[in-house]
Amino acid sequence: MYALELPIKISKDSREPIYHQIVNQFKALIAGGHLTTGTPLPSIRALSKDLEISIITTRRAYQDLEVQGFIQTLQGKGTFVAELADDLKQEVKVSSVHKIMENAIETALNYDYTLEQVKDIFLEILHTYPKGKGDH
Amino acid sequence: MEPLLYIADLEKQVMDDFHLGPINLKLEPGTITALIGNNGSGKSTLLKTIMNLVKPDHGNIKIDNMFVHGENENWKRLVAYQPQTIIGWDAFTGEMLKKLIAPLYPAWDEALFQKMVELFEVPLGKKFAKLSQGVQQKLNLALTIPRNAPLLILDEPTSFMDIPSKKLLIDLLVEWMEPGNRSILIASHQIDDIKKLSDYLFVLHNGKMLGHFEKEELTSTYARYWLRDSLSDTRIPGEVTREDRMIISDNPMETEAYLEAKGIQWSNRSSLELDDIITILLNNKKM
Repeated sequence: MYALELPIKISKDSREPIYHQIVNQFKALIAGGHLTTGTPLPSIRALSKDLEISIITTRRAYQDLEVQGFIQTLQGKGTFVAELADDLKQEVKVSSVHKIMENAIETALNYDYTLEQVKDIFLEILHTYPKGKGDH
Repeated sequence: MEPLLYIADLEKQVMDDFHLGPINLKLEPGTITALIGNNGSGKSTLLKTIMNLVKPDHGNIKIDNMFVHGENENWKRLVAYQPQTIIGWDAFTGEMLKKLIAPLYPAWDEALFQKMVELFEVPLGKKFAKLSQGVQQKLNLALTIPRNAPLLILDEPTSFMDIPSKKLLIDLLVEWMEPGNRSILIASHQIDDIKKLSDYLFVLHNGKMLGHFEKEELTSTYARYWLRDSLSDTRIPGEVTREDRMIISDNPMETEAYLEAKGIQWSNRSSLELDDIITILLNNKKM
């Protein structure tokens, strides 16, 4: 039924509004190159069924993505991933990585770790990765 | 947008002991509304009233701006209605029924009918009375959905159907909605229908309307908290039920403001599943 299966997962327990979660995950998929320009997206109704939400929420997410230039709707044809300017891609990458790091630090601080300890944990994890991974 | 279905101040007394209404409801094109209620809440009576099979005592119903209780019956081709039980089909085969029904609907989609009959494996040569209840429902759906009327009204369409068929039907209805100008009103006790199909929930309790809710709006109205300390016996703002240190609130903002003001901490907050919310609505029936 779908043009593709999307790795989109929403959390109903999160304080982040559902439409916002959808927008952010699409942005990451598009900026990260997992969804390339011209890829057809599921219809609002089909995505609403998959995520078990109303079309009101899904429509809002699609409208947001369209306004921000990530997707485009062609009358009668459907919705597609738009051509992204490189600086927009870069911006999404930077902000999504930053956000995840911030969340991790926030969690650690909630568990009463000090900033110094957080740094140690970060370095410790970093060292578990083989040398050369992620080198360009 | 002009509503496809418009119900205003509808009331109906049935026998001495049941009163439906007042009901107010608007359905917009492109949306799916689940009609939910306890057994005997008046769901079928409401649907029959929409179809002009029951006369209301008070109020108005319009389909695409036409009164359903008036002289003009043009609204009828705009609705496809699947009642819970059908009288008069027993002696006919599926093939005969199709030949009777299809010509009445100018937008009849023969390809969709054939597709549904094949997917649901409905034997068209067998008399209706000889089919199992589940297969009767499948045939009934195959004779209803392809009418392609803008408003589709289904009264507990899948109660006897097997699980794979229920899933198939959900996919069929999702696809059927694609043109964007159609609407579905579906009375259902199936949580999957409600979760995967509906945009709105219209909730009835013993004939009274408890509300017409947008799904996520309803979900966001409720939260469950696990408190770190036990509470005094006084009811706190928003509290619906509690069990020891677990509290369910239908007003998270008020509840949290109260807890914060009192310095009471909670270790966890989660949302409620729709079936829990429906249970609370139908059991507490305050609003």
